[in-house]
Amino acid sequence: MDMGGTDHFQQEKRNEDLRNYHSTNLSSDWPIGGSNLTNSSMGSIPTTNPMAVCKGDVMESPSCSSGPSFCPTTVWDHPTNTQNLGFSDINLQSSAGASNTLGFRKGPLSIERTLDMGWAPQNSTVKGGMFLPTGPGMIPQSLSQFPSDSGFIERAARFSCFGGGNFGDMMNPFSIPESMNPYARGASSVMQRMQEVFVGHGLKSVSSGQSQKNEVNMVEASKDVSMSVELGATEGSPLKNERKSESILRSHDEAKLGVGVSGNDSDEAEFSGGGGGGEEPSSSKAVGLKKRKRSSQDNETTKDNTEIQRKGDQTPTSTTNKPSGKHGKQGSQASDSPKEEYIHVRARRGQATNSHSLAERVRREKISERMKLLQDIVPGCSKVTGKAVMLDEIINYVQSLQRQVEFLSMKLATVNPRLDFNVEGLLAKDILQSRAGPSCTLGYSPDMTMPFPSLLPSQPGLTQTGLPGMSNSLDALQRSLNSQLAAMSGGYKEPTQVPNMWGEDELHNVVQMGFNSSAPLDSQDLTGSTPPEHMKVEL
Amino acid sequence: MTPQPLLMKPNSIKTRFAYGFLRALNSLNKNKPSSPSSPKVIFRRCRMIKLAADASMASAVGSRRAWSRAVLCKIRCQRALAMRGRIRSGGFRRRSGAGKGFGVGQTDGLRKLVPGGGAMDLCCLLDETAHYIKCLTTQVQVMRNIVDICST
Repeated sequence: MDMGGTDHFQQEKRNEDLRNYHSTNLSSDWPIGGSNLTNSSMGSIPTTNPMAVCKGDVMESPSCSSGPSFCPTTVWDHPTNTQNLGFSDINLQSSAGASNTLGFRKGPLSIERTLDMGWAPQNSTVKGGMFLPTGPGMIPQSLSQFPSDSGFIERAARFSCFGGGNFGDMMNPFSIPESMNPYARGASSVMQRMQEVFVGHGLKSVSSGQSQKNEVNMVEASKDVSMSVELGATEGSPLKNERKSESILRSHDEAKLGVGVSGNDSDEAEFSGGGGGGEEPSSSKAVGLKKRKRSSQDNETTKDNTEIQRKGDQTPTSTTNKPSGKHGKQGSQASDSPKEEYIHVRARRGQATNSHSLAERVRREKISERMKLLQDIVPGCSKVTGKAVMLDEIINYVQSLQRQVEFLSMKLATVNPRLDFNVEGLLAKDILQSRAGPSCTLGYSPDMTMPFPSLLPSQPGLTQTGLPGMSNSLDALQRSLNSQLAAMSGGYKEPTQVPNMWGEDELHNVVQMGFNSSAPLDSQDLTGSTPPEHMKVEL
Repeated sequence: MTPQPLLMKPNSIKTRFAYGFLRALNSLNKNKPSSPSSPKVIFRRCRMIKLAADASMASAVGSRRAWSRAVLCKIRCQRALAMRGRIRSGGFRRRSGAGKGFGVGQTDGLRKLVPGGGAMDLCCLLDETAHYIKCLTTQVQVMRNIVDICST
């Protein structure tokens, strides 16, 4: 079993890599079939089974190359294959658990393998020629996969998992018409069940070899067959439904197998992998890697499936689950889509009804609304008529505010050392006062007086020297708000200027220049923030 | 210590800004406890305070406004630059270039004044300007009161 498990993993990886399930499966089937045939001919079926499996696994690696070598064997097997086909046909048509179980019981492993062997080559060689006339032909293929080993079983599971939809794909290379597909699907589903059952048999026979388990498997097989029959009945539904149902059925089978085997962890893992493949036919590539997740998922699915089996409502639930979710999503999307904003615009008499002009009118209305709002916000803007002038006012106001922020930050920079002590207390006071404080921006002159005395001791000389220049700046201050700010910025420079570089002439220029000059100066005026205020207070 | 509940709304932009700004100031003072003597140090300090004021204002407003988003983004970029060791000599570009837009057109001037206004249409720009002006006025009020309290 361990060998089979390892081989199975390798096979899975190979499958993942190649992703051509057809090629790998067929190729793998051939070598196994060959080995099985030899085994059957040898007559040492039970003993050689693991060997055959190993051979099959080994042979699988050079799948393409090994294919042709086995072709003669397949040809040689053809008569047996035909017989097998007939047998398989009987099984399918009867579709009773008894027939399948009978087949199992008669030659638990050997007969099936031989059948499989024969079929695999036929499929490869004939390529749909055989398939088209006989749907049961499909079954032997799957059967061939089954006896091979646990690895094959998983493949078979995948095969079947993909098979619902993959059979169509499989069929395509074989050029089978679509009308055949449903039948093939039914066959495939039955075959999958069969395969799984066979797998269970093979595993258990190889691992335990106990007859009791085989019997259990037989019972399960009968159930599976019934399941497959149900699937065949429901195959009229679209491909997806079939896939899902098949996957669920597989999970059922796997769950049963897991229950029967239960002692073998490797088997469970394999089955879980198969179940994962069954659940996610599209993403079967990562089955080998994500076994743990899938095992958990499989456990859940198996539980669900067992419950479903007890209820007897398998296919409807399986088919309805995912579609319902899709429908729900679609419904939600549909509900989301109708939410679209409509702007109702009506043109008056004489107004253009062109869509562009309508949009333009809407835009203009919006802009006028905003302008009104701004008019209320900006002081002194209510009297102004004309948007251009209003915009100018707004710009000036914004600039003045920004200047004020700059100026206040400057003041804070000079005042800051005191702030260390009472910041926490300030949190309360500050907000209260700010709320109760002067709402108008112009009222800063009383506030300005406050920082001055504190700064005076630190910069006595600067303020006194700055006085003459300040008078000039004060004239500018009285002109307007904006000019006030400019003058303030200019006034700051006087103290700095005295120690540093600025001259009084430049100051005058600065004051007269107004904003444009003040902008570059902002970065350079530093310490003198208080002196102009002082001047202001004095004046 | 606790503010009187009658006079303040706890979640208004003004209170949020005040808290944020005072916190930033506190951290600034902790970082530079020594009394600044040279104008360079004071200038740097002033810039830091201005930046803190802008940042706290923008964060108080949050990211629902375009101008606050722009301010936050700019501050973040500046901080990233400062972390690399580059020291910007100039002030805010937004403010230094404020006066240039007059000749071009009023909207352009406004665009330069309002942070993030370069990528807005006129309607949005006016909207943002209105909000920005409101926020600036509150900022000025709070800062003036802070200065007032600190200086007394």
